[in-house]
Amino acid sequence: MYFSIVLGDDIWSQLGGYIFSWQFLQFLVAFVSFFGFVMTSALLLILAERKVMGWMQDRLGPIHTGPQGLLQTVADAVKLLLKEDVHAAKSDKALFIFAPSVFLAPIIAAFAVIPLSPYVGLPGITIATGIVYYVAMSSIDVIGVIMAGWGSNNKYSLMGGLRSAAQMISYELPLVLALVVVVMLTSALAGTAGYPGNAGIGTIAISQIQEFQSVNIWPFKGVPFFDFVFEGFTPWAWFVLVQPLMLVIYYTCGLAETNRAPFDLPEAESELVAGYLTEYSGLRWAIFFLGEYGNMTIVAAITTYLFLGGWSGPGVVYLLGLGSPGWGLLGNLLAVAYFISKVYLLCFVFIWIRSTLPRLRADQLMQFAWLILIPLTLFNILLTGIIFLVINSLGLGSWTSFVFLVVTAIFNWAMLFVFIRIVGRTTLSTTRRAQAPAIRAQPKAITALPAPERTGIAGGQ
Amino acid sequence: MSINQGTNANLIEEIGPEGIQSQEMLLNMGPQHPSTHGVLRLVLKLEGETVVDCTPVIGYLHRGIEKILENRPVMGGIRYMDNADYLSPLLNEIAYAGAVEQLMGIEAPRRAQYIRLLTGEMQRIASHLVAVGTYLVDLGAFTPVLWTFRDREGILSLFEALGGSRFNVNYLRVGGVLHDFPRGWLKACETYFDQFEKNMVELEGLITGNEIFESRTQGVGYIDPPQAIAYGLTGPMLRASGVNWDLRVNRPYMAYREVPVNVQVRQEGDCYARYKVRVQEIWESIRLCRVAMDKMPGGSIGTRTPIALRPPRGETYFAIESSKGELGVYFISDGSEYPWRAKLRGPSFVNLQILPELLRGHKMSDVVAIIGSLDIVLGEVDR
Repeated sequence: MYFSIVLGDDIWSQLGGYIFSWQFLQFLVAFVSFFGFVMTSALLLILAERKVMGWMQDRLGPIHTGPQGLLQTVADAVKLLLKEDVHAAKSDKALFIFAPSVFLAPIIAAFAVIPLSPYVGLPGITIATGIVYYVAMSSIDVIGVIMAGWGSNNKYSLMGGLRSAAQMISYELPLVLALVVVVMLTSALAGTAGYPGNAGIGTIAISQIQEFQSVNIWPFKGVPFFDFVFEGFTPWAWFVLVQPLMLVIYYTCGLAETNRAPFDLPEAESELVAGYLTEYSGLRWAIFFLGEYGNMTIVAAITTYLFLGGWSGPGVVYLLGLGSPGWGLLGNLLAVAYFISKVYLLCFVFIWIRSTLPRLRADQLMQFAWLILIPLTLFNILLTGIIFLVINSLGLGSWTSFVFLVVTAIFNWAMLFVFIRIVGRTTLSTTRRAQAPAIRAQPKAITALPAPERTGIAGGQ
Repeated sequence: MSINQGTNANLIEEIGPEGIQSQEMLLNMGPQHPSTHGVLRLVLKLEGETVVDCTPVIGYLHRGIEKILENRPVMGGIRYMDNADYLSPLLNEIAYAGAVEQLMGIEAPRRAQYIRLLTGEMQRIASHLVAVGTYLVDLGAFTPVLWTFRDREGILSLFEALGGSRFNVNYLRVGGVLHDFPRGWLKACETYFDQFEKNMVELEGLITGNEIFESRTQGVGYIDPPQAIAYGLTGPMLRASGVNWDLRVNRPYMAYREVPVNVQVRQEGDCYARYKVRVQEIWESIRLCRVAMDKMPGGSIGTRTPIALRPPRGETYFAIESSKGELGVYFISDGSEYPWRAKLRGPSFVNLQILPELLRGHKMSDVVAIIGSLDIVLGEVDR
């Protein structure tokens, strides 16, 4: 009572002042457009997945609803909205009902730190700890999945939920460790020639990591056309060239995080019917589905920002630099277009992988994370640190950061090729070792029977 | 057992002096399950994800085919044989017609025998394509099944041109076949096989070298040769365990007495070997089809048989190498128009009995990998 009496006026005036302020309007517009982006992107991805997989599998995909089947996902969404919401009688109601929201909310929340272009983004993009926020949000989904698995009171769901818990927690580690290397790069580069920031202090803000991927060096500097193209767009400075292995590992872990093939064990349709989704139908199922595709988008977006230069593309920085609002708007639109096309390119790879690879087994999945990915990422962190220390102590002056990048890149590309060459064999040999007990447990030869000799008409022919 | 009803108190009580004891879970897999290849029901006893015990329950697709055969004239029974192993109807028809011919002591003309060989091998290809494709679906890859079904579609279209029906072709007759080829059919077959060989290369490129596929299948579901023989396995299941046994070679029938077959044998005995044997058999069947088309003799396509076919009193057993193994027909006639008894020895039924033995000790994910590698057809298991 006392609280409201004393502060009442103030709160209402503050709240009122805020609601009718420009910032709030800006926030509202940004929020709605982001929410729209997530939803639309999920719809588009579902359609794209069906079309692309159809193309890869020598069939047409949806063609009947709307022109070229473009409205298929809309029709699906309407169908799902109108469907009956079925509950199993003995399910744990509270968990069952809240699980989809717990799954979807952190995925949408994670978008807060991702800018779409230099100026379009939620207020969250100014958070200085963008990566930490993203990692925190992405590890909350697993709770929704476990809730769904447990609350459904179904054995398939339970197994799916538990598999998912083990998988998501295991793959969280190499995922974060892969991101750590990028942060190390920024702190090694900060303050040196041509890079922003103070020496030795890196950044974990997503938009700032992108700034580290544009350098001031491009061919024919001074020629207007080349300035237009390359200002702020320098693919030779993207971290994918320095740390390609980390991109591959991050992307692989992203596949596991989003429960996509070949890591789609939690909802393995051929084993667990539909895993934790078995008892869900209608809108709740749709929310899970939406969350999965939203998750795909966000993994692709983070990859884009950390390794592929984010929204940078020909013309963006140049147009923004002209200073007039019209050109600035155009530059922003271009940036959004570049960003979204990079994201969708990565999503295409998701779909491509899904239509190519079979599914791993649960224990192979764990082995891959704990025996291959985590040691490799840890080693890479160690290696990057050692290279930095060695190069720094050589006293190369202004060349230090360049030499550091080149040496790191050489080591990393070598590791990538070795990784790709040996990963299959390693997986196979660890699997064989793991399966040996099962093979030995098979009953030994009963007695070596001779091949059956047949008599009678059939044999005599 | 119910998952949800245990309170914390109940859980704590179960901790004995040996530490935490986990409870075995009874999981009812099927009959409606995406990857039991029909309506097979497995009662699995699981400890965690490890299978402790498995009881297959069959009979959900029982249609009484053997009884129906007793109530149909001999010629009319051929159509019902289509539905036993519904993935290779023509091979079933060959077995039935062959049994009756053997009992009657007649033999189909050479041309009919070659037509049977050609269509039978095409049917084997179609059946193996389904086996390979659905196996990959069980393992989580969705693309191969669509490719293999596309290729199988070509074979079914050729059958449609041949017998008028895509699936239940009803093309065999006692003493021959129904029609001769329509005009240009062999040429269409040639065109199809040219394309199909390219598609097979593509399919193998997608599957065979894949590390995930290999790690899912190699060393899983191992059967050693004596065990395979003791369980009466036949077909690709037996040959993948290193036993060189193929009725087309060991007990040659019809045109196989003239056309030699290269039996495909693998030594590993695991799911990978069974997959590999099927793929190799597809290649071998393509070769056999080409041989049959080259050597296709002229002449009539059927011997003259009376319209009301009365096989003489007696019994016989005739077995062919079907796509899944030895498909035998034990035919007893009392001299009337109707068979007194026609018993099928279905390879799927016999091959299924090793399943509990194979599953023990494997993980839940391996259950589908192993069932898929058996390549059972519930239509033939339950008949």
